[in-house]
Amino acid sequence: MILLRSLFRNVFRHREVEQDLDAEVRAHLELLAEQHAANGMDEAAARRAAQIDIGSSAGLKDAVRDVRRGAWIEHLWRDFESGLRQVRRNPMFSAVAIATLALGIGVNTAMFSAVDAVLIRPLPYDDAGRLVMIWDDMSRTDSPKFFSTPPEWHEWRLNNTVFTDIAATEPGLATLSGDGEPEELAGRRVTANLWSVLGARPLIGRVFTEDEDARGVRVAVISYGLWQRRFGGSPDVLGRKVTLNDKPYEVLGVMPREFYFMPARDIDIWIPVSFSVADFTKWSWHDVHCVARLKPGVTVRQAAESMAALNLRVTAPHFDHPRAAVVTPLREELAGKTQTSLIVLLCASASVLLIACVNLANLLLSRGAVRRREVAVRAALGAGRGQLIAQLLIESLVLAGLGAIAGLALAVPVMRFLETLVPETMASLRLTLDWRVLAFSTGVAIAAGLTFGLMPALGAAQIALQDGLRDGGRGSAGARSHRFQYVLIVSETALAVVLLTTGGLLLQTFRHLRQLDLGIRPERVLTFVTPLFRYRAFDRRVAFVDAELEHIRAIPGVVNAAAISRIPLTVNDQSTFYLLAGQTNKEAAEQVALSRVVSRDYFTTVGASLREGRFFDGSDRRSESPVAIVNESFAERNFPGRSPIGARFQFGRWGSKAYWYTIVGVVKEIRDRGVAEELRPAVYRVHEQADQSGDEPSGIVVRTSGAATSIVPAVRLAIWSVDRNQPVARVQTIEDIVARQLSGPSQNTVLLSAFALLALLLASLGLYGVLSYAVTQRTNEIGVRMALGATSNDILLLFGRRGMLLTLAGLAIGMALAVLAARSMTTLFYGFRPDYVPALVVVSLTLVAVAAVACGVPARRASHIDPTVALLHE
Amino acid sequence: MPTPKTDLLRGTLDLLILRALILDRDHGVGITRRIHQITRGTFDVKPGSLFPALHRLEERGWLASEWGESENRRRAKYYKLTPAGRRQIDTELANWQRVSAAIAWAIKATS
Repeated sequence: MILLRSLFRNVFRHREVEQDLDAEVRAHLELLAEQHAANGMDEAAARRAAQIDIGSSAGLKDAVRDVRRGAWIEHLWRDFESGLRQVRRNPMFSAVAIATLALGIGVNTAMFSAVDAVLIRPLPYDDAGRLVMIWDDMSRTDSPKFFSTPPEWHEWRLNNTVFTDIAATEPGLATLSGDGEPEELAGRRVTANLWSVLGARPLIGRVFTEDEDARGVRVAVISYGLWQRRFGGSPDVLGRKVTLNDKPYEVLGVMPREFYFMPARDIDIWIPVSFSVADFTKWSWHDVHCVARLKPGVTVRQAAESMAALNLRVTAPHFDHPRAAVVTPLREELAGKTQTSLIVLLCASASVLLIACVNLANLLLSRGAVRRREVAVRAALGAGRGQLIAQLLIESLVLAGLGAIAGLALAVPVMRFLETLVPETMASLRLTLDWRVLAFSTGVAIAAGLTFGLMPALGAAQIALQDGLRDGGRGSAGARSHRFQYVLIVSETALAVVLLTTGGLLLQTFRHLRQLDLGIRPERVLTFVTPLFRYRAFDRRVAFVDAELEHIRAIPGVVNAAAISRIPLTVNDQSTFYLLAGQTNKEAAEQVALSRVVSRDYFTTVGASLREGRFFDGSDRRSESPVAIVNESFAERNFPGRSPIGARFQFGRWGSKAYWYTIVGVVKEIRDRGVAEELRPAVYRVHEQADQSGDEPSGIVVRTSGAATSIVPAVRLAIWSVDRNQPVARVQTIEDIVARQLSGPSQNTVLLSAFALLALLLASLGLYGVLSYAVTQRTNEIGVRMALGATSNDILLLFGRRGMLLTLAGLAIGMALAVLAARSMTTLFYGFRPDYVPALVVVSLTLVAVAAVACGVPARRASHIDPTVALLHE
Repeated sequence: MPTPKTDLLRGTLDLLILRALILDRDHGVGITRRIHQITRGTFDVKPGSLFPALHRLEERGWLASEWGESENRRRAKYYKLTPAGRRQIDTELANWQRVSAAIAWAIKATS
């Protein structure tokens, strides 16, 4: 009670308390004087005596203030005010310090908000840390982590010992029609236990049951986005019939807004997968995503070992080389490559901040010498070591706080830039300055303030108490603080080298990606999808595709148009097994090739190059002996050193009724799987001859003479003139696709390069600062040396050598660290092996050049010092 | 820097102040005078020690202060014991006796 009351009084009624104390001291003085007068002194003498008794009334009041409760708050406030005064008194120093800190704290805040969103924030599932994905280990066909098959899911679910349950999902594009324009939806066909495995519940309505899944009932669960967009968020959507691919489905439930699941954030509809008994014999039907929940107490590692062994057993009866299974944490799958790039970028931004702190520590150490007298005066006036350190630390924290405020302003645009880094597998996120991020930057600011403030504060307090007032201040502490400053210089140089080198490697990788030969001419090509679910019958489908292409070609400005089963360069693994003449079925089960079904003039439309043989032409009509074109990877893998032309193979199915395809041409690699993805063997067939394939040529590519997007309305009309109800979806240019796929690498490169340049700038500033301080401090010594016959060249060498030695030490350490760092970044190199030598050479030369300037300026100044002036320098 | 003469053990000064106020309220100069009297001139408490001590005791709730008029009709700040302060005298006394007994023993042991 008393405590609270006095604390309140001292803190909030500070002025009254102070006035009261003032009056009390004055009254005391008068009473004392009165007493002295009563003892026989004259009035003036009595006053003097009283004043002597009291001593310094300011000191007296200080002593009283110290015993008050809440005195520390007052101290803090005073130090804070003095910190602000220091900021105002040294505007140049403060501006540099705040700007560096703002950069450091700003980029770290932004980076943290992205890391938080992707790697830390809870996922929209119950206990998401227990969720894993299960994949096939298809290392024999170059895919160590591949989609699994329906029978594997079935066997795993029955026989595993490590999961409470396993759910499966399959791709399921669907066209929604009925009210309004037909819309192509991203959908998934899922097992009924998906929701219970994820621990996700619908916002309204219900999800489907095992029974509905088993019976193949047409029901659907829709996304919040679709509900709002198409049904106006009305609750009477429940029980409504929607038309998917021309079939009626009943809407059972709506998922909450924050729900999403692999493989993409924009999935709008989930329908029962309803596996049939026949599906459970398709051991090569690789399009199943499996997600499972670990049993309590089971680790990911245990599950991985158990599942690898289980799948070897399960697949043994069906393959010569049974395959293992791979188990990965769901969070890792969702974050994907972004995880590495975020961690690398966070490390880089932390390094920038660290360099900024090191620089400030150096600046403060140098300034500490200047302020030595001020600190010494305080010490002489009775400030204890603790008080001095506290005061200096609070000054640093004031700087850090101002830096943080400026940094937050800087963080916001950086966050906008980082948003596009969030992977497509995760919810679309708007990075915001929420309390988590603010707490983080506050923490960073405090840590930074303590980091750069502590050493100088300790040093200053030490010096002040030892010898502050004794002389002009070239004390014995100099040597030790120099050594410490040199250590700081070497470490910040090393950090800068690491950033520069890794930045250089990324730059190299990015240039490599930009210059990759896509295998096609990407400019002025429009692509879109025309779902073909209304044309299940093969002949009708061929007729429709030919008709729509013909109508599109008639549009003015269209050079050519063609169809393909998968839009080129979009990440997509539609692949199947092949059997070359003379091979056994078992050999065939271990070799896959991408399968693409195209219209006759596809290759000329996209601008592919022929290596050997011919492209498809008018002679390739429907036939019992169809032809195929393969890519170079396919040719090299199966026909090393000889021509594959005329060779025959079966594709996707074998037996007496299966077609034998004759290879008529080899095409130069087209990056069908994505710009930065590895090349794989690929087989192209003409759609007219592909009646034994399930692939539908629903993708359309159009080469135009003008801007590709200008013909979009005309294209829609052309298609609708063939079929009034035909949906046209996912309209984009090839250049859009390339740009989107390169945006991740390009942002990583831009950010890391920016961080690296910042680091270089800061490190050279640091070197300059320390050396020029050393010159100022050693002016006397320089004078003596010159008086004893040292030439100005000797002096130049003396200082230049010191700086260059520090730089070279930092360079050596930095290079070693850079090589280590680059090893952990390999996924950012997209399979490309960058050459370290040019990066290291360029970095070394740059650093030495920058360091030469940073050392040269102060060294020259030292060599031009006039010895007579220098000797008088105090 | 405090002078040796007033550099009392803090507890001692607190005890002396509380003792000086046992009969009646008084102002700073009066308290100094009374301590001088009751210690027979041994302790001459300087304002530099007295002021922090008075405020410390007030913060603890053992003294209360009020503005009043001195004998010569001057404004002065008067301090008086609170009930808690009265109880504290016994505690301080016990402390002091323990300390002085210990010191007496120590001196005997070394001489």
